[in-house]
Amino acid sequence: MKFRVERDVLSEAVAWTARSLPSRPAAPVLAGLVFEAVESEGGEGDNGSVTLSGFDYEVSSRAQIGADVTEPGRILIHGKLLADIAKSLPNRPVEFSTEGSKVLVSCGSSRFTLQTLPVEDYPALPTMPTATGAVTASGLASAVSQVAIAAGRDDTIPMLTGIRVEIEGEKITLVATDRFRLAVRELQWKPEQQDMSATSLIPSKVLSDTAKALTGGDWVTLALSGGDAGEGLIGFQSGDGASSGAKGSRRMTSRLLSGEFVKYRSLFPSEYNITATVETAPFLEAAKRVSLVADRTSPIKLAFTQGEVTLEAGAGDEAQASEAMDAVLDGEDISVSFNPSFLLDGLQVIDTQYAQLSFTVASKPAVLMGRPALDAPPQEEFRYLMMPLRVPGQSAG
Amino acid sequence: MSDGSGVSGVSRRTAGAPAFEPYGVWTDLVGQDHISTDLVQAALGNGMTHAWLLTGPPGSGRSTAARAFAAALQCTTANEPGCGHCLGCRTVLDGVHPDVLQLATDQLSIGVADTRDLVRRSSMTPSSGRWQVLLIEDADRLTEAAGNVLLKAVEEPSSRTVWILCAPGRDDMLPTIRSRCRHLLLRTPPSTAVAEILVRRDGVDPIRAREAARAAQGHIGRAKRLATDDEARAKRSEVLALPSSLTDMGSALSAAQKLVDATISEAKRAAEERNVTETADLRLAMGYQEGSRKAVPGAAGALKDLETRQKKRATRMQRDALDLALVDLAAFYRDVLAVQLGAIGGAGGDVTEPIHDDQYAAVRKIAAAGTPEATLRRIEAVLECRKAVERSVAPLLAVEAMAVRLR
Ligand SMILES: [Zn+2]
Repeated sequence: MKFRVERDVLSEAVAWTARSLPSRPAAPVLAGLVFEAVESEGGEGDNGSVTLSGFDYEVSSRAQIGADVTEPGRILIHGKLLADIAKSLPNRPVEFSTEGSKVLVSCGSSRFTLQTLPVEDYPALPTMPTATGAVTASGLASAVSQVAIAAGRDDTIPMLTGIRVEIEGEKITLVATDRFRLAVRELQWKPEQQDMSATSLIPSKVLSDTAKALTGGDWVTLALSGGDAGEGLIGFQSGDGASSGAKGSRRMTSRLLSGEFVKYRSLFPSEYNITATVETAPFLEAAKRVSLVADRTSPIKLAFTQGEVTLEAGAGDEAQASEAMDAVLDGEDISVSFNPSFLLDGLQVIDTQYAQLSFTVASKPAVLMGRPALDAPPQEEFRYLMMPLRVPGQSAG
Repeated sequence: MSDGSGVSGVSRRTAGAPAFEPYGVWTDLVGQDHISTDLVQAALGNGMTHAWLLTGPPGSGRSTAARAFAAALQCTTANEPGCGHCLGCRTVLDGVHPDVLQLATDQLSIGVADTRDLVRRSSMTPSSGRWQVLLIEDADRLTEAAGNVLLKAVEEPSSRTVWILCAPGRDDMLPTIRSRCRHLLLRTPPSTAVAEILVRRDGVDPIRAREAARAAQGHIGRAKRLATDDEARAKRSEVLALPSSLTDMGSALSAAQKLVDATISEAKRAAEERNVTETADLRLAMGYQEGSRKAVPGAAGALKDLETRQKKRATRMQRDALDLALVDLAAFYRDVLAVQLGAIGGAGGDVTEPIHDDQYAAVRKIAAAGTPEATLRRIEAVLECRKAVERSVAPLLAVEAMAVRLR
């Protein structure tokens, strides 16, 4: 095998694919990245391409880059080691050539000889399911970051550690919950088929990492195969192959979680009696200060009266910290207590100037939404539902 | 742990079992055609279920059977599950198939942390294979808390998840878990079958293979070691020299010391061989290059962790080696008893064969000098010593106490 590639293109692709390799591989081949070099198909500006692929248990990743291939081939190289070497190379074209079981990497006056790993012992990687539509890379990343906060961390209830993805025509809905709070985010996308309808449950950490890792391009193609009928995988792709220039394309696949997801729609109240609107940033800061003083598990109490909200931490009447600020209340006065970190998590992902909390009664779930301005309605695309805490001595409702 | 490779050398054969012609991954499974048949059928879709429990005495091939089954479930050759040559089979046997997770432990117990990880993985869809396979080699070592974490995942498995649990006996598993599993029982493989595989797979001379197979009493790994490793044979002879060297208190104590030394040095040697390959693999995995100290970040830490694990394992391997030596010793007295009762070398011809063929002269001498009752008491002393070692009594103390009673 022999090919030549730009240093930056190589080091980016190696770093990107090597990220998904295990840090303590169970066997030597699992530390490897498969390099597959193919010659030009004769198209204009096409000198050939190299595909790098690797996987860890949940995720596989694959990067295709343009390269000047003089001898096609397939080898397995230690990925993290190569990533280390690639970033230290001078900014000159890099040449790879195999000699027996070694590969010689040369760049300018630098030369490295690396042992290759036995590629014939490398397992079959998951194949990318068929594309089902495209979403903007930045839209996906921000939507995922908003719902991921509510995903559970308890591995013994794996279903709750996932983000549910519901596709209905041109709308994608992302949902996560740990049973104490629930985050729902809707976004628009371009499906391949207008009437498409699908659901899947993706490990939250994987989806967060993937959405971040694919912000390089404008669009991300989603490829979903149903857990029952197909392979039970989701694929992500950015860029559209070697033809999109030397930088090429990036692909990832992830396993899905199986299991029935929580029936969440009915958790949202059908109507609200009380809404309270606050300015997001100062409210978040106040909530941080108040909850800092109290210990992490003691509730934060929000007491809304006309024109004002008082934030208090500490149980019952013996509040350890308190702070008041402006609020616009629509409805009767209300006092509700929340787990402080759940409240902070929610406020942190509201990206509008105002935030609105909606209540039915103090003992029922409250819903947090963003609101661009006081005279604008709340944005319903993101809704964050929190169970209130029952505080001893405080009358419910 | 070892619950009875027993002292019986009588080989059992099934009558009327369906003929199974071993192929591919199944050829390493010795004398368990009934198991292979069931597992091949399951992989073909007949009698498939989500949870399996494979039990059998140590050395009978529980883990081999479990891995063969996992390979069969990921095999890509049509109608020949476990072909042994497709990429699916090969990567399962190498432990690198993405849809097979094997949990083997060198430690005395499997705790909640390891189990949580398995449970999480069991809830995922396979990435390319038909099944997501989770294999626990020493499921009897699950702590009760870990067993409870596992329970729900085994009770309500995802539609394409398969659990394969291995344990010495059915009773070693939590009842709640074992009741969810389809149970297959491996038997002590007949020594003829063990000898056959030594000849076929390891190229051992047939006579030596037969001797080793019989001496190993159905423990396939031990048989291979005895057949192919002169030092292992020498250590075994040292162990079996103990009965003939007991004259007074002093000789009993020094014989005890000798036996412990022989088994410990043998265990150390076996451990080192394993450590060397394991360390070389880890160095490769962490990116060390020949003649260079360069590797990926975390490599030194990973090597250090491995060393710690290897040290812990060494202690365990020493106890296991001592247990094997005691099984050998019990078998020696079983031979003595057989001679005393006329089952070997008696007037009515041989009813059974000696386990330790090569020790026959010593066996006869001791048989002539004692009574069957005394021999039974000695067997009892050996078995009690095994129990003491399992309870972590200091090896030398346990063996000394035994040697004194063997006089
Ligand atoms: Zn196969």
